[in-house]
Amino acid sequence: MPPASLKIPATLSPDTVARLEVEARGLLRKEGEIRVDASDLESLDGLGQAFLAALNTDAERQGKKLVLQGVRPEVREALGRIPAPSKEGDAAASRPSLFEAAGGGAYSLMREWRDIALLLSESLYYSTVGFRKHKTLMPGDTVTQMIRLGSSALPIVLLLSGLIGFTLALQSGLQLSKYGAAIFLADGIGISMITEIGPLMTAVILAGRSGSAITAELATMTVQEEVAALQSMSVNPLQFLVLPRFWALSITQPLLTIASALAGVFAGAVVALLFFDISPSAFFNEVQQAVQMQYLWQMAIKSLTFSWLIVLIAAVKGLGVRGGADAVGRATTACVVTCIFAIVLADALFSFIFYL
Amino acid sequence: MARENDDTLPLRVRGLRAGYGTRVILDGVDLEVPRGEIRVILGGSGSGKSTLLRNVIGLERPWAGTVELFGAPLDWSEGRPPDDSYEKIGVLFQGGALISSLTVEENVTLPLRIRNPGLSRGLLRELARAKLRQVRMEEAGTKMPGELSGGMRKRAGLARALVTDPELLFCDEPSAGLDPVTSRSLDDLLLELRETLGITMVVITHELDSIKALADRVTYLSQGKVLFEGTLDEAARGPQEVRDFLDRKPPEPDGNAEAPMAFRLEE
Repeated sequence: MPPASLKIPATLSPDTVARLEVEARGLLRKEGEIRVDASDLESLDGLGQAFLAALNTDAERQGKKLVLQGVRPEVREALGRIPAPSKEGDAAASRPSLFEAAGGGAYSLMREWRDIALLLSESLYYSTVGFRKHKTLMPGDTVTQMIRLGSSALPIVLLLSGLIGFTLALQSGLQLSKYGAAIFLADGIGISMITEIGPLMTAVILAGRSGSAITAELATMTVQEEVAALQSMSVNPLQFLVLPRFWALSITQPLLTIASALAGVFAGAVVALLFFDISPSAFFNEVQQAVQMQYLWQMAIKSLTFSWLIVLIAAVKGLGVRGGADAVGRATTACVVTCIFAIVLADALFSFIFYL
Repeated sequence: MARENDDTLPLRVRGLRAGYGTRVILDGVDLEVPRGEIRVILGGSGSGKSTLLRNVIGLERPWAGTVELFGAPLDWSEGRPPDDSYEKIGVLFQGGALISSLTVEENVTLPLRIRNPGLSRGLLRELARAKLRQVRMEEAGTKMPGELSGGMRKRAGLARALVTDPELLFCDEPSAGLDPVTSRSLDDLLLELRETLGITMVVITHELDSIKALADRVTYLSQGKVLFEGTLDEAARGPQEVRDFLDRKPPEPDGNAEAPMAFRLEE
């Protein structure tokens, strides 16, 4: 049987190359030797060179023979510029092993959380003991950040928490009314909005809204060497950039959480009135009796912890960015994902602790 | 503030080793810059110029070796150099690195406001105007950095670097990304500052025109080491790589001349 052959037309356009590649691959799979008839080929441009080089490399890897026939002199010169197929496998060989990758990942994760812990301790230090050492650069900065990161999130927090309160009240009311215990939906809504949904919803909304904003801003500043410039002016970037945001979110997030819980409870009252004929006074009376002081403490602790998680994760992701503009986008995505993960994890831990 | 003895060097680097991860970028760099000199740090891309700058101005901690600014070594024992290490230096970053949320004037006076929070608003404004006049930008004081062109951003960055009257100025690629005319005027500005204020300068650049205009002496980095140090005249008689760099000759590709034909041919 004569060796399989491939005919190359006079010119190689992207279309022909795509078709020839498929054909050549098919031949390579079946035959031990391929003859490429290049007698029509008039010139070889970059695309043609790449095609032949790839074909040659494939043949070499599979231990098969590739022979070019009838190459014209003007094409021969271009052929000479194609380097010999590389013996090495490509990038796959230099990729780290599974253990290396896992170890490297764990190490960088550890470093990141160490950075977050360090940033927390520094933030707390400059907020309390070291407060006098804090050089007030921009007195209005914390207020600006409170408006940007906190207050402007109020409408969305109210809307979403109200809707969730509404759904929750309706669902639990329907079940409870089967037992004639619809009034207890007030207990359920009151307690769950205050201890669980309020802090969690607010934190998730702020992680997406304020966390991403902080990371994007700090990452952009890092990439444009603004942070380096601050350091070279002996400005501690923590004091200048992180502290105002830390304070802003520490103040506004608990307030937003209260607003969120209130919105949910009010939505519950509306559901109770419209669907279960429970008067608002009876509803709020029931809420008042069900909600104990410890629940309010839980809300305060949770919302403050969540706010710190958001600011610190966002700051570490933003200031730790390396590279160009693409890194900013990646850092922002990573910030939101990490924030939400950390918040839900912390929430589970809190539920466990408060349950004890 | 008492003037230092003239024999304390503004910058002395000894045995500096630095890198990222496991990659060595600087492998034992020594550098001494005497007072009043404009020293240009040269080298191709990836030769470690920027890493050297980041280590010298205390943005990154060297693996080994010391950096002394005016005789005082940078102290890393607190995790980062103490604030007063930077008192006598100014840095012009590549893109100007103006803080984008502040106006040009606020940017220019930022280093002062940090060091002396008590300064009045009026005084700061006057100072900003004076410094901006020095870099010929007095009309742009109330603009935001985003409204400025690349050259203006650099000049504003220079005004900010000068606001504390530094004795040592670092410039990272002052002419990068500028058209030849703007780049030339920035070089002239730097020369003028040296004439009038006697500032010592360390300039990182690979623009030949800037090198020729500015350099008293050059330090050529190659593969993490100092390959050559001296005046431009001496460089013209220096190592091959330095001469090629100054003559804009690309390095010879190694062993690529006569590659054997990669294909089996048949008539």
